[in-house]
Amino acid sequence: MRRYRAFIIPAVGLVLVLGGFMFANLQENLVYYRVPSEVAGTPADAARFRLGGQVVVGTVSETAAGVDFAVSDGHAVVAVSHTGSPQQLFREGIGVVVEGEWDGAVFRSDSMIIKHDEQYRTEDGGVYTPDNRPGS
Amino acid sequence: MTALTGYAGVIVALVSAGTLAYTGARVFVADGDDAPRRLAPPVWGVVAGAVLAMGALQWGLLTDDFSIRYVAEHHSSGTPLLFTVAAAWGALEGSIVLWGLVLAGFTAWVLWGVSAGDRIGAGALAVMGLIAVFFFGLMATAANPFETLAQAPVDGLGANPLLQNHVLMAIHPPMLYLGYVGLSVPFAFAISALAAGDGSTSWLARTHRSTLVAWSFLSLGIVLGGWWSYEVLGWGGYWAWDPVENASFLPWLTATAFIHSAVVQRRRGMLQAWNVALVISTFALTILGTFLTRSGVVASVHSFTQSAVGPALLGFLLVILVGGFGLFAMRAHLVASSPRLDSLASREGLFLANNLLLALFAFVVLVGTMYPLLVEAFAGDRVSVGAPWFDRAAVPIALVLLLAMGLGPVAPYRRARAAVLWERLRTPLQAAAVLTAAAAVLGTRSLTVLLALFLASLIVASIARLLHTSARKRDERYPTAVAALFTSDPGFWGGMVAHVGIALLAVGIAFSGSYDTRTEITLAPGESAAFDGYTLTYVEPFVRAASNRVEFGAEIELSRGGDRLGTLRPRLNDYENQVQAIPTPAVRTGVREDVYLSLVRIDGETSAVTLDAYRFPLMWVLWMGGLVVFAGGVWSFAGTRRRRRVEVDAEPVDA
Repeated sequence: MRRYRAFIIPAVGLVLVLGGFMFANLQENLVYYRVPSEVAGTPADAARFRLGGQVVVGTVSETAAGVDFAVSDGHAVVAVSHTGSPQQLFREGIGVVVEGEWDGAVFRSDSMIIKHDEQYRTEDGGVYTPDNRPGS
Repeated sequence: MTALTGYAGVIVALVSAGTLAYTGARVFVADGDDAPRRLAPPVWGVVAGAVLAMGALQWGLLTDDFSIRYVAEHHSSGTPLLFTVAAAWGALEGSIVLWGLVLAGFTAWVLWGVSAGDRIGAGALAVMGLIAVFFFGLMATAANPFETLAQAPVDGLGANPLLQNHVLMAIHPPMLYLGYVGLSVPFAFAISALAAGDGSTSWLARTHRSTLVAWSFLSLGIVLGGWWSYEVLGWGGYWAWDPVENASFLPWLTATAFIHSAVVQRRRGMLQAWNVALVISTFALTILGTFLTRSGVVASVHSFTQSAVGPALLGFLLVILVGGFGLFAMRAHLVASSPRLDSLASREGLFLANNLLLALFAFVVLVGTMYPLLVEAFAGDRVSVGAPWFDRAAVPIALVLLLAMGLGPVAPYRRARAAVLWERLRTPLQAAAVLTAAAAVLGTRSLTVLLALFLASLIVASIARLLHTSARKRDERYPTAVAALFTSDPGFWGGMVAHVGIALLAVGIAFSGSYDTRTEITLAPGESAAFDGYTLTYVEPFVRAASNRVEFGAEIELSRGGDRLGTLRPRLNDYENQVQAIPTPAVRTGVREDVYLSLVRIDGETSAVTLDAYRFPLMWVLWMGGLVVFAGGVWSFAGTRRRRRVEVDAEPVDA
């Protein structure tokens, strides 16, 4: 291996330096994902994060800039003010992931992903899961 | 009955795989004594079992046999034929059946090349047998596709709508699996050669073709996956550094590195230990990819519900890593020695640079992919690494890789003198400079895009020059000479075709990624809006019923400066039995750019439509590049067969 030493030592050094930069950069680029019970009651946070939960029935109201609603994880409720028109699939009760900032009272989001769930519809419009189908 | 037949197939394959592993190991210890005769029965057992299992699954789907749980959950009687067939790999259990079938096929291919006294081949078959034991074991237990229901429902639930929304979904998984599973062949041979203490390059020569097949299909599978994402998901892109996308990209990177370093080992006898490490890593990464996609640890359209499959795959991954690298460490002294590098400025020096860059690329992607999982496991926080981080890391690495690709094929082995390089690169550099300057004059301002264009045109021009000068040297008419070159060294020229494909991909990615625009537009029926030089006119909303879904959307007329370009129908597909409708974008592909419309919403009362309108320049160059890469891989493979046949015939029988 001696003949490669001149090559290996700078290469390892370079990799270490690059690796250091990479990890430092990684820390800054992390987007945290939280649920309402981790957010409700906490002070404002300047860092962007993602908030996931179900749209609470009866809270949706359209605004000039987009839509206001509340999301819940079953334990806590957080108010969301979303900028941009919501997708067709957006409705009460659906799971969403919004990304934005928390000002201590309202989560201001500018990006929304509708969670695609694997639920199935029964003939009368209800929902059944694969384990709860008629005839089984 | 169908379920029973299928399960019997799984058991036959499982037992045969166990026999294959055991007999293979015995034959290996007995120095390959009588290998083909002793190993053929278990191999054909695995093949027969796998075919029976897949056949039964298909039969169950085609005959609407809803007493099988898998069929009831992933198929419905209204599903069109194509997606009925494709449903066999549209979900977890079925995809493992496909995996088993492909593995059986590759095992039979390995058997075909095994002769009496072939110790390494017998050992490789034993390793393939062990892999098959794992996958058929999964089918027999945790991921049984033939589980039956006590009472069959009248109709099934239908496939995941995202998966039955586009024809590509029927093709993309088999392509990807041909790639993934094919990479187990070089792994099996490397392990067998290590166990035998064989430090020669014979395992490389023997796995050359299967590696090329696997690599070509993996490349095609990745590009088709991106295409599907672009055509179906409607978020306006083809690649998001999603963990599942990375899972397919990681083994591609290391397999690409392996294909190149294998050339160095065959030509110059170097990088032997590195090759073994690459092959073990590549196979481990395919299993890691399967774990990521199939265990539910990451949320994605590709991942299915959590099951015992996850821990089983994780365990298997550990076995491969510990077993593979453990054996590698024990035998390191056999594979370590190698002739020295004469000069870094040489073909092999550039191959080395290419390998280090590809390995670095793979490492970066691996860190970004695994970091959120590790943070969640150890700190409990759920995080994701943003796509900008990957872009920032990937772009510089990719650019340097393109530079190495431009220089490599024209650099001589051993030592490249500057004068020789200059002579070979002068014209291509001029051509690339002229093209890049033209692009800059025409309004391309991004330095990264210009650099990518320059390097890509350097790659293409230097290959064109090489082809031209080599053809001129031959005593044939020019077209005949070009054709003769391609057939005389298909390994090299196939590789060059793949390089051209990568150059096209780079140009497509650079332009579409840097000059895309997006606008949200809301229109009432009859209204028009301007979008980047185009005019979008909302004609009317529509509702259409198809056999398995109802489509509703907006008819948008696209025109540019008075010319009618066509009608686009971005829509939502509402599948029977599904709560949510699936958005489907409409794309108009043009020479200069794609216009891509994604339906955001249609107001129920006023019929006003909100659209996400995107413009992506040069998208077709990207897809074309993917197909060219595949064509290059296939040409390398098809050509080497012809050549190797001749060599084999020329060898004495008793060698």
